[in-house]
Amino acid sequence: MSGQNNNFSSTSDYVASEQLLASVNVAIALQKPLLVKGEPGTGKTMLAQAVANSLGKKLIIWNIKSTTKAQDGLYMYDTIQRLYDGQFGEEGVNDIARYIKLGKLGEAFDSEEQVILLIDEIDKADLEFPNDLLWELDQMEFYIHETKRTVKAKQRPIVIITSNAEKELPDAFLRRCIFHYIDFPDQTLMEEIVRTHYPDVEDKLLKDAMEAFYWIRSMKDIRKKPSTSELIDWINALQIGGIPTDKLRSELPFIGVVVKKDEDLETVKNRREF
Amino acid sequence: MFSKFFYTLKDKGLDVSLSEWLTLQDALDQGLCNSSLTEFYYVARMILVKSETEFDKFDMAFDEVFKGIQSENEVSKNMMRWLDKPDMQEVFEEIRHEMNQEVIQVDKEDVENTFKERLRDQNEEHNGGSHWIGTMGKTSFGNLGGNMGGIRVGGTTGYQSAFQVVGARKYRDFRNDKVLDNRQFQMALRKLRQFSSKLDIPETELDINGTVDATCSNGGCLQIVMEKPRKNAVKLLLLMDSGGTMIPYTTLLNELFHSVYKSNHYKDVKTYFFHNCIYSNLYKTPECENGDWIETEWMFRNLDSDYKVIIVGDAAMAPEELYSASGNYRGPNGGLSGMEWLQLMKRHYKRIVWLNPKMAPGHAPWREAETAIKGMFPMFKLTVDGLNQAMIKLMVNR
Repeated sequence: MSGQNNNFSSTSDYVASEQLLASVNVAIALQKPLLVKGEPGTGKTMLAQAVANSLGKKLIIWNIKSTTKAQDGLYMYDTIQRLYDGQFGEEGVNDIARYIKLGKLGEAFDSEEQVILLIDEIDKADLEFPNDLLWELDQMEFYIHETKRTVKAKQRPIVIITSNAEKELPDAFLRRCIFHYIDFPDQTLMEEIVRTHYPDVEDKLLKDAMEAFYWIRSMKDIRKKPSTSELIDWINALQIGGIPTDKLRSELPFIGVVVKKDEDLETVKNRREF
Repeated sequence: MFSKFFYTLKDKGLDVSLSEWLTLQDALDQGLCNSSLTEFYYVARMILVKSETEFDKFDMAFDEVFKGIQSENEVSKNMMRWLDKPDMQEVFEEIRHEMNQEVIQVDKEDVENTFKERLRDQNEEHNGGSHWIGTMGKTSFGNLGGNMGGIRVGGTTGYQSAFQVVGARKYRDFRNDKVLDNRQFQMALRKLRQFSSKLDIPETELDINGTVDATCSNGGCLQIVMEKPRKNAVKLLLLMDSGGTMIPYTTLLNELFHSVYKSNHYKDVKTYFFHNCIYSNLYKTPECENGDWIETEWMFRNLDSDYKVIIVGDAAMAPEELYSASGNYRGPNGGLSGMEWLQLMKRHYKRIVWLNPKMAPGHAPWREAETAIKGMFPMFKLTVDGLNQAMIKLMVNR
């Protein structure tokens, strides 16, 4: 591993806290997967993209769904295609390897250069899913029975795993990870984040929008707290809409961008200042 | 060299494994902490702690080892022993009765401060006094005390009157052995399955026999036949007691509720709520608002007898709430008593279990309602073990 140039830092479009930077770098140094947890919309998925950009490496994304099996990430053997090809005497039917398709994990292992592998929303999958990947993530290799080939990582990929905490993850899996919890950004960090997206945002607009945003978040009875990405969308909408800033707190224009649930909209509208 | 830290972490209830500990050593060897205590704090935390809910325990351990600060409010083992007197319960019952004729208003902060003071000064056992922390006394703290608003030290919550339960045994259990892990609940709920391929889902699996058969009749030219995968056919009806005496168990019930929904391998799950006992209406939300409900008869009509029923409640009702035809003080009774509604349930559904978060161990005749309900439905304590047994009961024939 080439230690000195594998050092992640904030990029022009992603602002990370000191602790997050440290977590990423420790995970890279110790060659362990980094497990990132946090509220939705705190930029868990974007982190991997930022790490890839910062280190100048390719990003491979494995999106997990409720039906995803661990095997899907390794390889698939397209038996039916082979059967049909066999019927018509197609060339190369004897070569099973033609019908083996590597999954995302396999792709990451097989790559000539070191890549970033993002396993996104691992908690969506079945309870057993993380356990089924223990060996592969530890040893960075797996065996294809059909072709008797072992796929071994040529360059150990940097693995980033995100979780929304929908399910508890198994202990054996957790023990192998480096853990980072993304706190909700405080006002200073948030300002920096917004400015990386809209460098020429008006100070007054930003200040008022953030005030209103944190005010909404502080309401105890709100069902879904708005997140960073919603604030960014809102500021964009306000800029395009050209709303006079003095009306922002009283009228809350385009508030539907920030608050998405009907009940929450009612709550916010009832409490705004006139 | 940090082995003291390792054991302190274990003491605080963090499940740190040896492999994680070695990973930390590796990180130190590689100089990832830059010889700074703050950086060591973060590196150690990210390697050893895997849930934000446990950061607090880590902080406590870190504090203890690296700053030598003793956390206040710690109840020593000796003091717990002085206070642990379960056999005194009955004698005390009478004393308490006399003492609480008049309710004394107490200020929470006052009580806490005095408690801390005594915690520092006390060095022997006290029973029945009015100054120190002890049993059967009149101070606002201690165990088996008659004072209705104060700090309980140890023991089991008998009267739910102390507003702060310091070091109560049941919370310690939560932390150390994680009896009530969401995951364990889900694993228990997995037992509830009955595979069937007669469901209305797409055909996604290869039917080997069918394929061979079809290929033969196709003159040897391959003809692939697909079939529906086998799926769980279990339908679940969850009825939960909400509010009142169930409030102390909210977290536990949430855990169960989420486990049921996350295990998403059932064909159907329906959840309704009730207050105290099942009467003519079942509520759609745990708030049990009048009007936001379904009729219990509607449920009988629409949810057929195949549904496996889990009733969760403490079965702590006054006898009239169970036996009187007007015993429901929250909503309508529909002309029947709670008991009669429960009998209707039993007649309609083939499989019913009752999960009780605070079931009395063994035979407890003084809990009249609980005993009556135990006679009707198999009742299990709401723990991982109890849930496992209940699931088996739901699957086998009566």
